[in-house]
Amino acid sequence: MFLNKRYNVYALFLVGLFIYIISFLFDLQVLSRETALSDIDSQTLDTFYITPPRGDILDINSERLATSSMEPHLFLNQRKINDENLEFYEQFIKYNFPELDEDDLVNLFLDRRKIQIIENISDFSATERQKLLELDAFEIFDFPIRIYNYDNLTSHVIGYVGRPTSDDFQEFPHTKQTLQVGKNGLEKYYEDTLTGTPGEIIFRGSDIIEYIPPTKGQNINISLNIDTQRVVKESLLQGIELANENEDTLDEVIRSASIVLDVSTGEIVSMVSIPDFDPNQFIDGISNQEYEKLNRIQAFNNFAIQGLYPPGSVFKVVSYWLAENEGLFPEGLNSRRGRINCEGSLSFGFDDGSQQVYQDWKEDGHGRVNLSSAMQQSCNVYFWDIALKIWRTYQGTENESILQDYARNLGFGELTNIDLPFERNGIIPDREVFEEWTITRPDLVRPEGWLGGDLMNLIIGQGAITVTPIQVANAYKTLLTSTSSSPYLNIAVSDNLKLKKYNISNELVTFLKDDLNLVTNKNGTAYAAFEVMGRKVNDIGGKTGTAQNPGEKNNTSWFVGIDSVKNPNHVIVTVVEEGGSGSAIAAPISRRIIQHLIGSDLTPVKYGEITE
Amino acid sequence: MNSRQITLLGPQGTNLFIFLIFLIFIFISWFTLYTLTEFEGLEFDVNNILTRQVVFSVASVIVFFLLTYLSIENLQNYSNILFFLAFSSLTVLLTTQPRLGVRRWFDLGPIDIQPSEFAKVIIVIFIANYLSKNFNKALLIFLISGIVLTILFQPDLGTALIISFVFLSMLLLSDLKIRYFLLIILISLFLFFLFLELGSRFDNVNIVTQYQIDRLNEFFSSDLDFSQAQSRLLISSGGLFGQYFSAENIQKVFVPVETTDFIFAAFAYNFGFFGILFLLGLWGLLISRLRRILIVSNSDFDKFVISGFISLLLFQIFINISTVVGIIPVTGLPFPLLSLGGSSMVSIAVIFGITNRIFIENNITI
Repeated sequence: MFLNKRYNVYALFLVGLFIYIISFLFDLQVLSRETALSDIDSQTLDTFYITPPRGDILDINSERLATSSMEPHLFLNQRKINDENLEFYEQFIKYNFPELDEDDLVNLFLDRRKIQIIENISDFSATERQKLLELDAFEIFDFPIRIYNYDNLTSHVIGYVGRPTSDDFQEFPHTKQTLQVGKNGLEKYYEDTLTGTPGEIIFRGSDIIEYIPPTKGQNINISLNIDTQRVVKESLLQGIELANENEDTLDEVIRSASIVLDVSTGEIVSMVSIPDFDPNQFIDGISNQEYEKLNRIQAFNNFAIQGLYPPGSVFKVVSYWLAENEGLFPEGLNSRRGRINCEGSLSFGFDDGSQQVYQDWKEDGHGRVNLSSAMQQSCNVYFWDIALKIWRTYQGTENESILQDYARNLGFGELTNIDLPFERNGIIPDREVFEEWTITRPDLVRPEGWLGGDLMNLIIGQGAITVTPIQVANAYKTLLTSTSSSPYLNIAVSDNLKLKKYNISNELVTFLKDDLNLVTNKNGTAYAAFEVMGRKVNDIGGKTGTAQNPGEKNNTSWFVGIDSVKNPNHVIVTVVEEGGSGSAIAAPISRRIIQHLIGSDLTPVKYGEITE
Repeated sequence: MNSRQITLLGPQGTNLFIFLIFLIFIFISWFTLYTLTEFEGLEFDVNNILTRQVVFSVASVIVFFLLTYLSIENLQNYSNILFFLAFSSLTVLLTTQPRLGVRRWFDLGPIDIQPSEFAKVIIVIFIANYLSKNFNKALLIFLISGIVLTILFQPDLGTALIISFVFLSMLLLSDLKIRYFLLIILISLFLFFLFLELGSRFDNVNIVTQYQIDRLNEFFSSDLDFSQAQSRLLISSGGLFGQYFSAENIQKVFVPVETTDFIFAAFAYNFGFFGILFLLGLWGLLISRLRRILIVSNSDFDKFVISGFISLLLFQIFINISTVVGIIPVTGLPFPLLSLGGSSMVSIAVIFGITNRIFIENNITI
């Protein structure tokens, strides 16, 4: 039997239960809400992060190039600052740390929630530190100081660290928790490896309840040899001095770069770009004036990977390879042995009826030259003949850009993907590029578009072409080993390099090495620069380059050297912006570097012979 | 009555009010769970709580309609068999491997089934049948005590309490003399505290674990359990209007099992005191609607079933909220149709389905 009467009583009981629970909730959510909110505030844990020490960067002989030192710093716990003690702390800090300027002081007290770094107190005595700690709002934590042991010598390779900006937050989200981020060089490229795990300071209310120390980032070992680096830099500076003494340039010669690349691995043994800077300056904060000064002379640019120059005659190896590989020799010749008569100029007519005269750098000509002697003496006429042959054979066909294809195959116009940031790729001009430029950059091209003359310019590395020194080094390495890969600094990447095999015959490589050898020997363009090495020069090879620049600018001085013809270990690429003739400046600089690489006595950089 | 035409809104005669309110509860559950998925978003993923709840909801709606095809007469006839099945499955459950220290679920691969959720519903039907036929109440007390014991042994204090309360409420509504009823309550209270005492004396007696004893001691010493203290703060943060529509930038405190047993705290945080009034108002509306059966129906079985369901739902809501705000110790009960969980949802869908059928048979369509 179901009793409806009892249900009514029972329903009242249920209603009572819920009135109770609703009143309880009303109390929680409305009446005693304020107490709860202040409870939440006091139990809320806040974490602040302490910058971790970055991993060290070590050179090939485990020399520490960059390291981090943990030094005690005084911090201000802003949560302990209130209206009563604010003035005391302001005065105290002002009096004891006079080196802080007004802005720093204002920033220190701007927020009331954080923990702010005040100063490095590593030279304070233990009792002095103890005294500081007796003040409630002061805390002492270790903070990492980045140290670059070789100052300017490694500035472009290592880069430097600085305070993260909003761009850095985007690129490296972890930098929201640190006060250091790599801004350039390896410091930037390997930011994720080098940075460690931040330490944590955990607050409850205004009290620090836990401190978790930071952990250091991973070290990286790089292929750079700091001894070689030093010699390369000295040699470049000597070369720059010589150029300023001997060349009649409008501007002072200040920019140059040099790379020593290990042929068998692609490791960078040395990379120097001048002008340079001392990365340690960034640690204590570089003054605006100093920064502007360095910026004006482009000291932060690594010209080895960012400098864009016309390559001049060092580019002739591309057509050298093409001629051999495709059997494309000057009209009437069918092998590398065949000779043409170089009379110092080339005059010819194009299809459009225009007559052109091209003047070689040597006015009375090189006489009878074949491919070898054209390389040796850097005879332009021989290579122009090849260009004419290409033009007449392929103009308007899909093979028209065969020279450009060979150049791109060797990595020109493309990034080498070296493990450094901000690399640039340069340009290999062809008909399409010119067509694009007639719309986007009409100041760079003639309205007629791509002509045979442009191809003739290109074949000797002149005109619109630009390359970086690292591209040149890597291209020579590719030709010498029939294999291309990205150059690198961090030895750890060597395991997963992408290798690309090329079909370059041993015969060609032997010819090339022999012909490069001719350049540094008697009758070669670089003989004057290498003569001092005596018999050792028999095993050295190279190629000079003197690239003309538009306007009043002096020529760009190039030299590509190999330290051994029999068994090439290193490719050395040197470029001096507005340095003049390659054989006069870049060649003797490279010679001094090669002397170091093969263990000979160093002789000063001496002004060489002006060729090209 | 046994074969019904299918319409867009389910079987012919489906009570629109019951079905709509069932759907509204489901949507509220989705919305609440959605507020808890801020980092997961709406990806389709079996681990996404919202996705899972949507799947459970679809199953629940299907179960709702299936139950509508079961006539009340048949339900009454099967009640003894169902009770036997529930009793045996709860007994079998005690032989399985404990998980997290309790034997509460049958592990069926991707889903777990919690038989006590269904046992709750079956027990109501069994008691209703028993009382409407005026069988021996002493035997009934014996049987129900037995099934409560199997649940206590899991151990699952919350469900055991709910079943006891529902049973007592149904006894109260029967023609049992009030003095006997009071005697039963006294004996139950005595046994309850005896269990607690036994549990604390012998650690190996698995009736009430030391953990629960600690919980009770904590409670009686007026110290709150961590999750209760946290959920109180979370509820307080909600204020009158809740943080979902008018964020005040209050740090959201951490509450354990926020998606299941403590979901009411998350609801209160997001929708505030007015949100709670709305939710409880909906339940009140439903219960007041169910009362029509008690007036209209001539069948005692109908009345006992409906009043049993009313007790079951309201006690579960009451115990859940009391737990979340820390009035009573943590018992581990889901909030009906709000908490994430398949067994709970489907068992409530069974309740709604049977209720719908009772309305159909009494020709109440709106």
